[in-house]
Amino acid sequence: MSRVTRNRPLNPRRIGVITLHTFTQLVRMKVFYFLGFFALIVMVSNLLKIQDLGRPDLSGAEVLRSIRSWSLGTMTLFSVVLGVVATALLLPKDIEDRTLYTVLAKPVPRIDYLIGKLGGVLMLLFVSLLVMDLLMSGVLALRTHFVVAEQVAGLQARGWAADQIEAVRLETAKQGPTWSLQGAVLLVFLRAAVVASSALLLSVLSTSTLFTTITGVLVYFIGNFQGVARKIMSEEGMGFAERGAALAISTIFPDFGIYNMVDMVIQGEALAAVVVGKAIGLTCFYLLLHVFVSWLVFAKKEF
Amino acid sequence: MEKAVEIQDLVKDFRTPGRKLPLRAVDRVSLTIAPGEVYGLIGPNGSGKSTTMKALLGLVQPDAGTCKIFGNDSMQVDSRQDVGFLPENPYFYKHLTGAETLRYYGKLCGLRGKALEGKVKELLELVDLGGASDRRVGGYSKGMLQRIGLAQALVQEPRLVILDEPTAGVDPVGSREIRDLIFDLKERGITVFLCSHLLEQVQEVCDRVGIIYRGKMVKEGPLDDLLSIGDQTELILRDASPELLEKLEAMIRSEAGTELLRCGRPKTTLEKLFLQETVGRKHP
Repeated sequence: MSRVTRNRPLNPRRIGVITLHTFTQLVRMKVFYFLGFFALIVMVSNLLKIQDLGRPDLSGAEVLRSIRSWSLGTMTLFSVVLGVVATALLLPKDIEDRTLYTVLAKPVPRIDYLIGKLGGVLMLLFVSLLVMDLLMSGVLALRTHFVVAEQVAGLQARGWAADQIEAVRLETAKQGPTWSLQGAVLLVFLRAAVVASSALLLSVLSTSTLFTTITGVLVYFIGNFQGVARKIMSEEGMGFAERGAALAISTIFPDFGIYNMVDMVIQGEALAAVVVGKAIGLTCFYLLLHVFVSWLVFAKKEF
Repeated sequence: MEKAVEIQDLVKDFRTPGRKLPLRAVDRVSLTIAPGEVYGLIGPNGSGKSTTMKALLGLVQPDAGTCKIFGNDSMQVDSRQDVGFLPENPYFYKHLTGAETLRYYGKLCGLRGKALEGKVKELLELVDLGGASDRRVGGYSKGMLQRIGLAQALVQEPRLVILDEPTAGVDPVGSREIRDLIFDLKERGITVFLCSHLLEQVQEVCDRVGIIYRGKMVKEGPLDDLLSIGDQTELILRDASPELLEKLEAMIRSEAGTELLRCGRPKTTLEKLFLQETVGRKHP
């Protein structure tokens, strides 16, 4: 008689096992060495323009801006590269090593395997960005404290009014560890999540790591021109071919433009909650879309 | 009685670029395996053995026919609850230790806590890897990989174990150990479906055998039936004197219609000799 079994798809426990395993696999590939490199970047950016600290005006804020700029730039680079490469590597490696046979020969629905693999990459991105965020915020908090103290002392010596000094202090504090900065780090994570899910989709279509990596990077770059594509579509007098190409780009490729708000945050501008909400919604849509299409392909794939 | 494996008219075609007609890897293959039986599928390279196994595991989709495991359609995930699989030349996650590997596969099958830990320990002992449980799989030898592979196949206590070339690339000692493990599985009532081209080993462990050639099942049945030569009789004597042998030969010659084909000492196998002179040797 057949044994009673419960192997429904989307089992959180099973997905969690694969996620944790993928995370461990990537950690043991020593990707966290990059965090040491990041710490070095933050320290170097902290030392830049240190000679300007003696000036009792806003130039001290440049140091803070430099730390934000370097840190968020490095976070973006790290997360995008990791999102593409780690995801592109995992599936073909499992096929090549035949470990996929042993996993799929267990009662593991293919959708659980795919989500677990993506989950492992997202977990790694999240933990890495969290560590980098803590490091950046710590350095920024410390540095902001010194910069503000020096500015206030200098301005007081010049006899500036209290409200003027407070205005300068607030302006400088905007370059410190603000909530907008945390929002920007979240945007970096969301962008990397979409990059990873795009790479997952590419890796089920092709078994070549190199192809997936190169195409993944291309998708990322093209996705940054979504705004231009939409603009072309709305312009009058455009040819059929241009419109078609623009339509294809804006339909197929994820719109990474929305995540570029990070640049504004580096300049000290506030990040509106609605922008973050929109980015979260868009990211969820892309993740679901990519996982669903990946599953449609992967479910029929033969090994 | 419910069959452990039931393959009915299985057809599998592979479409290759540049070829108009698809390549038929498996052509209307049918076989059944009873619970507790050890079944060997033999055939030359490219004859369709692995494809048949993969179809049974849901790794490839049949173009026609059905595959069932204990009554469950093999394309359904639930059918895999009853199956353990050891692929040919397996490579496991190199970053995991032997114990972690078993824990991972056990968790995938829903095992947790003490039950999982107990199972991991038991299986490591069974495959004689207790001493290497904390070593990374990346540093395992070929034979150790096969054994950890067999252990992962058994982690959820399957009723059917599928072994694809279980002794490929393994030295005679490791090969013998795997053979002993198969005997052990048989004693525990586990059905074994193996494919190999090491015919001597198949002959040693299998109850029934199927011969597949160019995708077609050309011969199938109980091993004894397939191997016995209907019109010949074997007589093996110990310490027979030359006089007795002469008498026997004379009697046989006097019998009309009976022919003595061969008389001499039975031969051992090279494998048995090798094992006797290496592992079984008491003094170097």
